Amino acid sequence: MAKPSKSRSIESGDGHWIEWLTGSVSAIAVIALIGWVGFEAATQSDGAPDLSVKTISSASRDGGYLVMFDVENAADRTAADVVVRGEITAGNTVVETVEITLDYVPMHSRTRAGLIFRNEPAGRSRIFATGFSEP
Amino acid sequence: MAIEQTHVNFDHSRFSKGLARGLAGALLFALPMFLTMEMWELGLYIDRSRLLLLLLVNIPLLILLARRIGFENISTWHEAVRDASIAYFLGLLASAFVLSALGVLSVGHALPEAAGMIAIQTVPASIGALLGRSELGGRDDDDEDAQDPLDDDAQSGYGGELFMMAVGALFLGLNVAPTEEMILISFKMSAWHAIALIISSIVLMHGFVYALSFSGGHELEEGTPVWHALIRFTLPGYAVAFAISFYCLWTFHRLDGIELTQAIMSTVVLAFPSAIGAAAARLIL
Repeated sequence: MAKPSKSRSIESGDGHWIEWLTGSVSAIAVIALIGWVGFEAATQSDGAPDLSVKTISSASRDGGYLVMFDVENAADRTAADVVVRGEITAGNTVVETVEITLDYVPMHSRTRAGLIFRNEPAGRSRIFATGFSEP
Repeated sequence: MAIEQTHVNFDHSRFSKGLARGLAGALLFALPMFLTMEMWELGLYIDRSRLLLLLLVNIPLLILLARRIGFENISTWHEAVRDASIAYFLGLLASAFVLSALGVLSVGHALPEAAGMIAIQTVPASIGALLGRSELGGRDDDDEDAQDPLDDDAQSGYGGELFMMAVGALFLGLNVAPTEEMILISFKMSAWHAIALIISSIVLMHGFVYALSFSGGHELEEGTPVWHALIRFTLPGYAVAFAISFYCLWTFHRLDGIELTQAIMSTVVLAFPSAIGAAAARLIL
């Protein structure tokens, strides 16, 4: 799309003070950016993803009970294809199992999702992550 | 073409040619996005206030763009607004048409879904329409130099330069921002990769504009040190590209629930194509 007829523009030797101000602010911002990522690079640990599930809410819906939860990853590595399973137990037997796969749970971040049980989950359910892969 | 331009009165063939060019530009520039699955899905679930903000931000963007590189020799804001509206509408038309033609959009869709899918595609398509009207049309004009707004000192100022970089960044950035690859890459790479990517983005940006002798490239006045242009143009350009990338990712819900460092890493990934887009805009537009 280059226009062959267009001449090359020539930047003047010393720019306006606004150019220098903008330039300096940008330079500081870029250096701060590199510094921040560099700091993270130096301090990050290589441990495996550390996943925990926290239930947010539980509500009765048509045809089931919706349980919303957050999966949190406390480690410095991202987990992919995180499988989360919810179980309802009665005594020693598992009455119902539901499962969901989350695409990603990034490092130090949380991903929200929901599971739908057919039995009342209050007081006898547990939700936990069963596995993940590296992205 | 040269003869037509001497006409002072309204010229129907010229006007319809302009519209056709706008449509062609919308198709040319937005087709990658029309064919991206994530964009269809985004139309369904994107937060409506973010979509509204995107649609509103697009208005001044198109007007400024029309003012700067408009199809005809635009001299007033009035004309710029007119051209921007036409481009917006052409973008809307193009996205509605292509999405229907591809079968992505069907009569079975509820109105809010369909509206969302069309609206989100309208933004890149309208920028494409505006660029198409000027860039596609500009080539066969013999007296192009006479109407090239870049020759107008008043419009090629520092702010204009940064604005063009923003448009270039938006352009290339929007094409890849909705894809899952942007976040996937940032998950795969380490912080060291991110630093290397930042530095190479800046070096490439600088090289694109100053070192490689593309036509439309920029040269420094004799005796000016290289770092002058780096501070005055390339670094602000990168900052603009980074900000645009951050905005795109936020708009497309790619940063939701994500911690700051990870969000910065994703933005660094997207800033790479955006920075090259910004540099290319300085050469092309």
